[in-house]
Amino acid sequence: MTSTFDYLSVALFELTQPMMLFHVVWATVLGIFVGSLPGLTATMGVALLTTLTYGLERDAAILVLICMYVGAIYGGSRSAILLNIPGTPASAATSLDGYPLAMAGKAKQAMTLATLGSALGTIVGIVLLVLIAPPLAAFALKFGAQEFFWLAVFGIIISGQLTSNGNALKGHIAGFLGLAVAMIGSEGIHAHVRFDFGFQPLSGGIGLIPAMVGVFGFAEVLTTIASRAGVITETTEKARKGPSNVFKLLSYRYTIFRSGVIGTVVGILPGVGEDIGAWASYAAARARSKERELFGKGSEEGLIAAETGNSAVVPGSLIPAITLAVPGSAASAVLIAALFIHGVRPGPMIMIDQPGFIYTVAIMLLLATVAILVFGVTLTPVFVSVLKIPNHYLMPIVFTLCVIGPYAISQRLFDVWVMVAFGILGFILRQMKYPMPPLVLGIILGTLLDKSLRRGLIISDGDILPFFTRPISAFFVVLVLLVVFGGLFRRRKQRFQEE
Amino acid sequence: MLNMKTADLVFGLILVMLGCALTWGGFTMDRLEVRRIHPASIPGLVPMGLGLLIALSGVLLVATNMKVRASEIISVQKPGLLFQMLVICLFYALVMLGRIPFFWATSIFIAIATFRLGSDAAETETSRGPLMIKAVLFGLVMSAAISALFRYAFLVRLP
Repeated sequence: MTSTFDYLSVALFELTQPMMLFHVVWATVLGIFVGSLPGLTATMGVALLTTLTYGLERDAAILVLICMYVGAIYGGSRSAILLNIPGTPASAATSLDGYPLAMAGKAKQAMTLATLGSALGTIVGIVLLVLIAPPLAAFALKFGAQEFFWLAVFGIIISGQLTSNGNALKGHIAGFLGLAVAMIGSEGIHAHVRFDFGFQPLSGGIGLIPAMVGVFGFAEVLTTIASRAGVITETTEKARKGPSNVFKLLSYRYTIFRSGVIGTVVGILPGVGEDIGAWASYAAARARSKERELFGKGSEEGLIAAETGNSAVVPGSLIPAITLAVPGSAASAVLIAALFIHGVRPGPMIMIDQPGFIYTVAIMLLLATVAILVFGVTLTPVFVSVLKIPNHYLMPIVFTLCVIGPYAISQRLFDVWVMVAFGILGFILRQMKYPMPPLVLGIILGTLLDKSLRRGLIISDGDILPFFTRPISAFFVVLVLLVVFGGLFRRRKQRFQEE
Repeated sequence: MLNMKTADLVFGLILVMLGCALTWGGFTMDRLEVRRIHPASIPGLVPMGLGLLIALSGVLLVATNMKVRASEIISVQKPGLLFQMLVICLFYALVMLGRIPFFWATSIFIAIATFRLGSDAAETETSRGPLMIKAVLFGLVMSAAISALFRYAFLVRLP
């Protein structure tokens, strides 16, 4: 029987071939650039790159996407520290302490700490991925239709609750709208075409990639134009000042470990994402810190906690994505789509069909981590000059890629229309403070929810009781109720305090 | 500028209508009796339930907003620019693409969009002349690069 070590060794050997290392270098550096540029997010980067890696061989394509993902989440810290503009939403917590540190002339030190924090956070996540994913996949084999139905419901509810910024109803509405979109097209049990309104291209349903490129790409372009955010200021001098002190990390080892674990757990929660991982880690670090008063004013511990937390979400989000086909973040949702494109079927059978795949992903993440360690610090002056690219050059290119990217996969102009429609919808919903991850998660989980509910009812001959009485189902029901009522209770308490 | 409360009220009503339409669509959907499928597996089952849930969410959104006295304003810093850029983007994606060769459509789009966004950022009227030349050159170069990348590297038959 092949051991974990054997799988890891084989993956390491295959992924350290010159061509693969070349992919690691360019994809990670591109990811750091994408992440560092305000207006370009990790999800957008992964979605656009999915369309570009269509022709690559499976492992190379997935490696490129994972390097882009890791690089972009890390890259957001560059502009957060140097410009006080988070490159991605995941880096918002980083700017709280990173920018004050840069203003105090410690920009280089802040960037070094952020780089090491990101790397260590990813490594904690990788270790947990290797430890948790295989038993989780084995456990998921016990899931029947009822359990998958509740898993999908839980995903929508928890994602809506945690990404909604105080108004859970809006998060849930976004999730329900995503589910409604998933109802369009041929359904999975009887192949009956729903809601196509006699329009033939709709019979195949709404493609995930065009929808995601629209929601995270075109909508982001419109948001950037609307807010005129991302105007770059001169801060290059600060990047070169200040001593670096890598050994400071040792004194923050508990913070790093705790933030890594929190980030990974947040990553495992369906559709929650890196920004929540960063904020949760930051809040936990602040609550336990001896230097609490420094948080928000240039705390190195706060900076490390935020960066470790958001980076640990990346491997964490891949745990449910690979073992349950339920994405832990918006970017991992795109990765699921990419896995299907390249012939990998994520889900409980992954450890039986492709037992080495989880370990291959772990090594891919490790290589991306090494790449951010190497290029994150050495290419800082280059990143600073790239950050000066004006938006009027950048945004038309991004929109062109949003248009041609989805077209490249299917070669149908209909997918361009879908991208445009979702871009406008995403922009309007964003302005009204609706979170986007639940919408995307709804599109992904809609088919699973629909098929599982009806399959479960067929198995029980129309009886709804097994959905509540099977042990794992009952556990999910309790979880869903806890999340819903916990949210209501918190909101009530918040209102009471406000009054 | 739009009040968030008004926006939520309008959107709540839209959700109620959407939910009702979805429920009705699910209810009237073919139940495939001819194929003798299990009644619990009719294709309209989930759309019906989902429609009710969306309608209920719409009602809750309206109800919770009734209690709100003051709410934030949804404001766009440059609505004129946003609208113009939206029109340019839509014209490129929905009209030009597929009707004129990709290279020319993209060149024109990038040049116009770059010029429009750039002239908004430009400090003086006189700096717009050089910006126009730069935008045209930028459009041609980037369009050639993107076309070549997709046509020759990814073997895509461009529209």
